[in-house]
Amino acid sequence: MPVSVLASALVVLIALALFAIALSTLYLNTYAWWDPKTQIRTSYSGLQESEACSFSLIMPCRNEREDVMRATLSALLGQTHSRKEVIISVGHDDPETVQTAHALAREYPDFVRVSVDVSETKNKPRQLNKALSMCRNSVVGVFDAESIAAKELLAHIDSVFATKNADVVQGAVQLINYRDTWYSLRNCLEYFTWFRSRLHAHSRQGFIPLGGNTVFIKRELLDEVRGWDGNCLAEDCDLGVRLSTLGRKIIVAYSPELVTREETPDTLKALVRQRTRWSLGFMQVFAKGDWKNLPTRKMRAIAWWTLMQQHFMAFAGVCIPVAIFAAVWGGFPLVVTLVAFLPLVPTLATIAFDICMLQEFGRDHKFTITWYDYLRLIVGTPLYQLVLAFSALRALIKFIRRDFGWEKTDHSGAHLSYLEPAVTAAVRP
Amino acid sequence: MAVAELEPSVIERKTSGSPQHRGPGPDAPFSLTQLSFWDRVTLCLLTAMAAVLSLWNLTGAPSYQDDEGTYTAQAFAVHSGSLAPYTYWYDHPPLGWIQIAAINWLPTLLGLGDGTAIGATRYVIAAYFVASAVLLYMVARRMKVRVPFAALTTVIFILSPLSLVLGRQIYLDNIGVPWLLLAFYLALSSRDALWHHVCAGICFAVAVLSKETLAIFGPALLIALMYRPRWSNRSFSVVGFLTVGGLILAFYPLSALLRNELFSGQGHVSLQDALTYQFLERSGSGTIFEAGSSRAELLAGWLYFDKYLIAAGLAAAVLCLLRKQSRVLTVAIFSFAIPIIVGQGYLPAMYIIGVIPFLALALGTGVDIAWSWLEKLGGARPDLTRRLRAVFVAVLCSALVLMSVPQWFEQDRDLLTAENNANWRQTLSWVQDNISREDVVLAPYSMWYDLNSSGWNDSWTMIATEKPDLDKQFETAHPDGWQEIDWIIVGPSVSANIDSLGLSRAASALSHSTPVRTFGEWTIRRVEVPVPPRTNER
Repeated sequence: MPVSVLASALVVLIALALFAIALSTLYLNTYAWWDPKTQIRTSYSGLQESEACSFSLIMPCRNEREDVMRATLSALLGQTHSRKEVIISVGHDDPETVQTAHALAREYPDFVRVSVDVSETKNKPRQLNKALSMCRNSVVGVFDAESIAAKELLAHIDSVFATKNADVVQGAVQLINYRDTWYSLRNCLEYFTWFRSRLHAHSRQGFIPLGGNTVFIKRELLDEVRGWDGNCLAEDCDLGVRLSTLGRKIIVAYSPELVTREETPDTLKALVRQRTRWSLGFMQVFAKGDWKNLPTRKMRAIAWWTLMQQHFMAFAGVCIPVAIFAAVWGGFPLVVTLVAFLPLVPTLATIAFDICMLQEFGRDHKFTITWYDYLRLIVGTPLYQLVLAFSALRALIKFIRRDFGWEKTDHSGAHLSYLEPAVTAAVRP
Repeated sequence: MAVAELEPSVIERKTSGSPQHRGPGPDAPFSLTQLSFWDRVTLCLLTAMAAVLSLWNLTGAPSYQDDEGTYTAQAFAVHSGSLAPYTYWYDHPPLGWIQIAAINWLPTLLGLGDGTAIGATRYVIAAYFVASAVLLYMVARRMKVRVPFAALTTVIFILSPLSLVLGRQIYLDNIGVPWLLLAFYLALSSRDALWHHVCAGICFAVAVLSKETLAIFGPALLIALMYRPRWSNRSFSVVGFLTVGGLILAFYPLSALLRNELFSGQGHVSLQDALTYQFLERSGSGTIFEAGSSRAELLAGWLYFDKYLIAAGLAAAVLCLLRKQSRVLTVAIFSFAIPIIVGQGYLPAMYIIGVIPFLALALGTGVDIAWSWLEKLGGARPDLTRRLRAVFVAVLCSALVLMSVPQWFEQDRDLLTAENNANWRQTLSWVQDNISREDVVLAPYSMWYDLNSSGWNDSWTMIATEKPDLDKQFETAHPDGWQEIDWIIVGPSVSANIDSLGLSRAASALSHSTPVRTFGEWTIRRVEVPVPPRTNER
């Protein structure tokens, strides 16, 4: 008798934990739509008349194709903002990319320079730090090698810095090659919810893991905190955490016209590697413990949850069906079994809202979303969840083994075919 | 904190408007966090009024009904981990009495209800009645009805004898109605907030799981949600409302499925059987146009309690078509009326409970619409404004007096002063004092729980009248059938129930019984088993 009571209590406890995770996911994913006012509040603030900042844009590259780099650079040089420079950041062990970078720099000598990182361990933060030492302008921005910035982005970011007295501005990134693979649709939507909603929810809570792309930081501040952590796989998240802890003003802004467009990893293997890296990065940031310096207990709790939620979420997708299965065939009392089903409510609601978001994604980026895409979205969900869980598990194993090597995502330029030809053509600044 | 979101000047401009007013302006959407002075005062007065009228003489009138006893017994059964003292056969979704079970310990603890369980449970229902009254005011205000007319709506709801008689009894509809009203209140969110609309879905699901007939308001609620000025998150709201509401409703069939009782089968009850019974097999109530049919009688009964509310409410429902916001009331009332007018199936007497707040709301809104006309008329002829207003108020007051004095006053006074349960109470004490706890007793459900818990503590020794015929377990407990019954307690509804439900075992026991003690319409009868003729088979 006591054993069965204990087992029931365990099932209820697990179900409630899963319910809390699923509810938290639902809350974060739909935060932007909670209230029509949230949409206005999270948008850009409109253009100021004069330019207040100058930009140094770092473009970290590794094993990149020339056309991909050229498209990214064109979008940066084509910015309407007048005071900008681009630093292509490469590693010395990657001669082909170094060569391409130099060739591009020669084409635009006034605007583009190349920073070659010579450190032994190769990773993104080290390349960024090397490039940072060459930056001359007041605000440093990071653009991944395969990202296409919107034309007016810098001008808007400038206005946000000026009107909001911000230290950091996080712009939005959107994956767009949603038709390419079974997982790319899910992946695109994930970015959509992340930048449209989740980041704003985190921002509201006062603890924000920054993204690594389309992020703008005052150079002085960046120098003050000694740049990015050269040993951290999620250097972007880590920087956000450190700046949150210092109480710096971080602004997140979203507008569909101003998102930076990117591609999804081109193979499932690459997706798993990317996810593993992110998960591992979050684990590293968690273990580093900078978040423990937050002033209040509540803030620390929020930070704890923010850093852990991703892993929980990855596992929850797998655990919920298992828990239900166990509850149904475990001979538990009816109430216990029903409680085991409870996490399904927020989980299925999240999927239902995903459908609305996919519609909005299509509307914002002028893609025609067909019923087949909606179907793919729903059918792909459990499989995608498995991929996330697998990656999180892989990250956990690597974390335990202290294996922090950089598994970089390759870029094939798939996103370029989704853009209007004008964007990808070379532009004279 | 350092991290902030962008707050464009759009919002600032909006909120900084009309600095000369403190508190919300007259056109501001009704919100509990920003109540105006008059809203506050009115809400307090209405709450007090609803509380007094629902609590006063609560155990004296109306008389206890079998259904009330059923839900009382089922609520107490929840405390011991089951959904009913007998086999739960999916007659209704159980959330209604699960809610009663969650709070019925409180009146018992406070010693309310004359020491009876059914009396104490009525106090739980009183809380729901007060909640309904308050929510009705809130919904009226959200529908932009002016304070006095919103108050009028609620006063009608509280004072109408039809509402008050049914609202003081332990019916599942009374549990569901405040959830339904809350769903409407949230669906009409002043901020168009997604989570309000998701909560509206949850509340509606709770309402339907409390009493399934309230599902008839589903279309009206969906219209209330969608039929408003367009807002950016509408698709999210509708999807959230439908999905979350639907998922919570799904827990009912799910629980049936997990007990292997979703579909009909040999040797067990099932949700399918229950639905077939309630909608198809249960002896119908006839059509409303057939004189003497039970449907016509039921309607006559409702009209007897308050023909004014029903007639004026229906007329006002038509008037509500004239204002965009209130058209949903027309839809609610007429969709509710469809099964009454068109249907021939079984119609329960408490069905009307669900629509009473909407009838009152239609009346209040109708008056509000008329007042708006008057204002418009007065705008054209400012010299007449005062006189028009005076005439309007005079006409409204005299209509109310004409409506209320002859019928309402008398019936409400009865409710607040009559002692209708004296015989019930005496019967209860007599049985408790004089019948052995070993004897098998057949008792009406209105008394069953209070008797059983006074020492029998066995649902097959103290048996509810219907159960020997309707619950298969009787045969296991009493293989010799009705002959094992020692006593039968006959209340006002027993004979009618035996007829309508075809209770042959109870009928046999009754026909072989002789009265021992009578209290008014209640009789305690001893069952005399005829000595079986000697058989010489051995």
